[in-house]
Amino acid sequence: MSHFLIVGAALFSIGLYTVFSRKNAILVLIGIEFMLNAAILNLVAFGRYDRIDNEGQVFAIFAIVLAAATVAVALAIIINVYKQYKTIDPDKIKDMKY
Amino acid sequence: MTSLIIVSVLAVAVLYLGLFKYKTALLPVSVTGLLAAAAMAAMDWDLEKMYFSEMMLFDNYAVAFSILLILTTLLIFGLSRNYFEKISNNVAEYYALMLFALAGGVVMVSFHNLAMLFIGIEILSISLYVLAGIRRKDPASNEASLKYFLMGAFATGFLLFGTALIYGATGSFNLAAIASSGAFESALFRAGVLLMMVGLSFKVSVAPFHTWTPDVYEGSPGLIAMFMATVVKTAGFAAFLRLFLMAFAEASAFWAITVAILCILTLFAGNITAVFQDRFKRLLAWSSVSHAGYLLLAILAVGFSASSAVLVYTIAYSLASVAAFGIMILVSRARGNDHLDSFNGLARTNPFLAFTLTLAVCSLAGIPLTAGFFGKFYVFKVALAQGYTWLVVLAVINAMIGIYYYFKVIIAMYMKENANAVAIQLNPGFRLVLSIVVFLIFLFGIFPGLIANIL
Amino acid sequence: MIEKSWLIPLLPFLGFLINGLGRSRISKKTAAVIGSASVLCSFILSVLVFFELQGSAETGVTVKLFEWIRAGSLQIPFSFYVDPLTCVWLLVITGIGFLIHVYSAGYMHADQGFGKFFSYLNLFVFFMLILVMGAGYAIMFIGWEGVGLCSYLLIGFWYKNDAYNDAAKKAFIMNRIGDLGFLLGIFLLIATFGSTDFTEIFPQAAGFQSGDGRLLAITLCLFIGAVGKSAQLPLYTWLPDAMAGPTPVSALIHAATMVTAGVYMVARSNILYALSPVAMTVVAITGLATAIFAALIALTQNDIKKVLAYSTVSQLGYMFLALGVGAFTGAVFHVMTHAFFKALLFLGAGSVIHALHDQQDMRRMGGLKKAMPVTFLTMLLATLAISGIPPFSGFFSKDEILAHAFSRDPLLWVLGFAGALLTAFYMFRMLFLTFWGDFRGTAKEKQGIHESPASMTVPLILLAVLSVVGGFLGIPEVFARQAHLLGGFLAPVFAASQEVLPAMHVPHSTEWILMGISVLGVLVSIGMAWSLYVKKKRVPAEDTVQRSGLVAWSYHKFYVDELYQALIVRPLDALSGFFYRVMDKRFIDGIVNGVGSTILAFSSTLRLLQTGRIGSYLFYMVAGIILIFLLNYLIF
Repeated sequence: MSHFLIVGAALFSIGLYTVFSRKNAILVLIGIEFMLNAAILNLVAFGRYDRIDNEGQVFAIFAIVLAAATVAVALAIIINVYKQYKTIDPDKIKDMKY
Repeated sequence: MTSLIIVSVLAVAVLYLGLFKYKTALLPVSVTGLLAAAAMAAMDWDLEKMYFSEMMLFDNYAVAFSILLILTTLLIFGLSRNYFEKISNNVAEYYALMLFALAGGVVMVSFHNLAMLFIGIEILSISLYVLAGIRRKDPASNEASLKYFLMGAFATGFLLFGTALIYGATGSFNLAAIASSGAFESALFRAGVLLMMVGLSFKVSVAPFHTWTPDVYEGSPGLIAMFMATVVKTAGFAAFLRLFLMAFAEASAFWAITVAILCILTLFAGNITAVFQDRFKRLLAWSSVSHAGYLLLAILAVGFSASSAVLVYTIAYSLASVAAFGIMILVSRARGNDHLDSFNGLARTNPFLAFTLTLAVCSLAGIPLTAGFFGKFYVFKVALAQGYTWLVVLAVINAMIGIYYYFKVIIAMYMKENANAVAIQLNPGFRLVLSIVVFLIFLFGIFPGLIANIL
Repeated sequence: MIEKSWLIPLLPFLGFLINGLGRSRISKKTAAVIGSASVLCSFILSVLVFFELQGSAETGVTVKLFEWIRAGSLQIPFSFYVDPLTCVWLLVITGIGFLIHVYSAGYMHADQGFGKFFSYLNLFVFFMLILVMGAGYAIMFIGWEGVGLCSYLLIGFWYKNDAYNDAAKKAFIMNRIGDLGFLLGIFLLIATFGSTDFTEIFPQAAGFQSGDGRLLAITLCLFIGAVGKSAQLPLYTWLPDAMAGPTPVSALIHAATMVTAGVYMVARSNILYALSPVAMTVVAITGLATAIFAALIALTQNDIKKVLAYSTVSQLGYMFLALGVGAFTGAVFHVMTHAFFKALLFLGAGSVIHALHDQQDMRRMGGLKKAMPVTFLTMLLATLAISGIPPFSGFFSKDEILAHAFSRDPLLWVLGFAGALLTAFYMFRMLFLTFWGDFRGTAKEKQGIHESPASMTVPLILLAVLSVVGGFLGIPEVFARQAHLLGGFLAPVFAASQEVLPAMHVPHSTEWILMGISVLGVLVSIGMAWSLYVKKKRVPAEDTVQRSGLVAWSYHKFYVDELYQALIVRPLDALSGFFYRVMDKRFIDGIVNGVGSTILAFSSTLRLLQTGRIGSYLFYMVAGIILIFLLNYLIF
């Protein structure tokens, strides 16, 4: 059991690190996906103790579907941003501030 | 429940109308549908029905907030005539996306299971990511969309992780089961509560998770910013309170300290930064951050008086925001930008608009005889009843700072002149919506009992 | 009639609605008639209420209108409470308010925003009436905020001038600081008594021990509110600046009514204060310090309205001194007489300013006695009244306050007496500079001098009559027993606190002596002003002239004059100048501006955090999360 949790926490941390270190919106997105998948992995792992309803597994499927929808929207946004700014480094897109 | 179905079906129907180019039918169909949805929601009053093996619970709390969300959307639709047409050709998308977001909002106020909370938030958020960036040729709109999306998805990660931890600690997603699990002492549960708090704090722009708010509000089209400030904020807080009330109330000794700290941070971050803003839209965005701080006060006071305080506050705040954003749209369209100087002399050219905006900012600032005063009053009252006197003192100080920056716009309208300003033309939709808002702000400001004793 | 007393505030409100909504369609004449008539009707109703209340055995009547706020166990009905104290204020507000409305019709006749002006005035009267009629602190707060808003609107009425805007803004910010105190006081009241209604709170409070900590906190918070609204140290600088507004506004709001709201509140809460001796001392000291401080500043002011403004601050100080020594009746009495003569002084000054086409500098006036006889005579009477010359109204009210102060501590009396001397001096200085000597303005201005129209002089005359005879409502005991009509009328309001407070005990012989000394001193003071400004025709130096010019001026004087100059005038001048420049302008304004600029500085720094970069935003989020977890780890 704790193995799953450790893997989950590790995945989450890797995702967090990716979000911070990458200068590319798509890689940042992948980092966020890592974090989501860490959470989903945990859900499935905890689902082992919930054999009657299997709620954890069901939730995991919902979460995967929603994550997929998010990615679709995300890619559309990133393509649009690229058309306007000719870059997808999130830190270079900072016209609005203060 | 019927109202949720109507809203969802309405969204799909509107998409099809757009597909077959019935542009003129969009608004009437949406408005009729929303009215029907509000009416159906009202029929569920006092029924307390569970749906889908306890996934959702339509109690009075859910009904009241659903109606509030639907009617606010209706007001926004009233302002949208000829607005979206100027931005893009595919007008139907706007209505459909806003209706989908509304459906997400209704789910968020009526969930009885963490799965539904997550789904509701995602439906709302994904629609908003698109809406923020819907002005595709406008760099600012794109920037807003990218920022909102990247940070929103990031926050969702925490929310989902928190949900997983709570599931691990209690073995269920059901709110009642969580509340009765007795696992409040375990580290897993506590970490889960904190992570969910972070995820929700982001959605309602609580500091330090508020940074997206001003940038996204500024970049999004005015009506979308209005939608974010009213419907999204209301839904977010209703969900926040519902979760902490129905599932985590027993553990309040644990999370109250964190909420109190977030509350102070939010109040000061919002109000102090707003003082320096010279563009009205950003000013409203920062003020929206500060209002999240006041609302957090009510969350501290777990109990049903807290629901009614949040309801009064969100009603007052939504009404005032509709008026403030609406007039901001008119002024920036007529005078090129939303700089505070653009409001100079508005009292002379458009006395009605100036009066409405004055009333709206007075309500936002919490001046007596407006609905906003009672919003603050009830929130402070429930926080005091819980013994948070020091927090209320800080909040009152912040309210004073708030008055300072809200009055900057009144000063601009009434005390500064603009020689070459011409009167702004109002279409009937604006006139109607603004008149309704003025009436309601006064009505609830003089007879707060009408809304304060619903829940 | 008392049951219908809700009509009293309703009428001005209707006037506001009609004038406000239809200001583009209604002619100036109609607007003036509607505005004045609504207040006149309220006055008539107030008189009826007064007589009914006097005839009835009840001390106060609660008129419940509707259920207003219900939150858990707390219930706040929207209701009015009419008792003798309310009644006095009702008569003053509607009576003097009506006269000032009539006066405004003449004074503002050439102004473009005539209808707007009347609608604001009516709105002000409405809120002021709500303030004094409210049956609890919550309703009072509505009026409190409302009059602040109207004062803000009216100060900035001629908004084309930037200085006016700044004044309006300053008034607003200072009043907010006061309101903060008031609001906290209300919350503490709710926490302590579970209600905001007078009829619930005061009987409960009477059961508290004297010196109870909760009462002390409540009374101090409420007093902060009073300090802001009634322009006491240190929150008074907005009042002189507020003179930027039209003169009738200064007369109505900044002399007769709104600024006395703080006095009303403390007098209304008399039982709470009576049970907190520390708060009483704070009130008395603040009042006395303000009285002397403002009088010193008034000595060297050259703007006729500024003199009156500082004088108002000073007189308000006397009222708080009275409250602080337990002379609640005396305070209310002084509010009333002050309303008469100060409104008259402002209206008279307005008449002068009107005649000289907006000239407010007394160095450009002089010799107006002949040209404006009515204005001159009425202002003379008012000046005699404020200086405390018997038998004018100010004498009685000031004497009552000083006698009470003496019974509490002779030192209070000495200082109060010194303030009275200063008052007489600067008031007569103003009168002499304006009406005696030769005209010092331009020839063109001289041609235009005229007595004001009847709509302006009739209110002056009526107010003059009141200033002369108003004092007979409160004849002290030494002249005749049972002659203090006002005291008898107000007795039930202050009955509970008089039981707690030590009774005043000054032997009649002592009181005679005190009276004699103060009258004599005032006469000497007036004589000094006479010798300086009439006999020697001294005119205050131009702003550009350095003070060393005074040395050359004194070259021709007698030795006595030199001595007098060196020993009295110069130190006083220096002190006055010091207080004005350093304390008033630098220190107190500095603090107020300092709070503002600190917030601004914070704001400009804090907003730099908003870099626009997603990276830094995400960093704040994660830093926040880590801190939250760390904190919770440490606590639990």
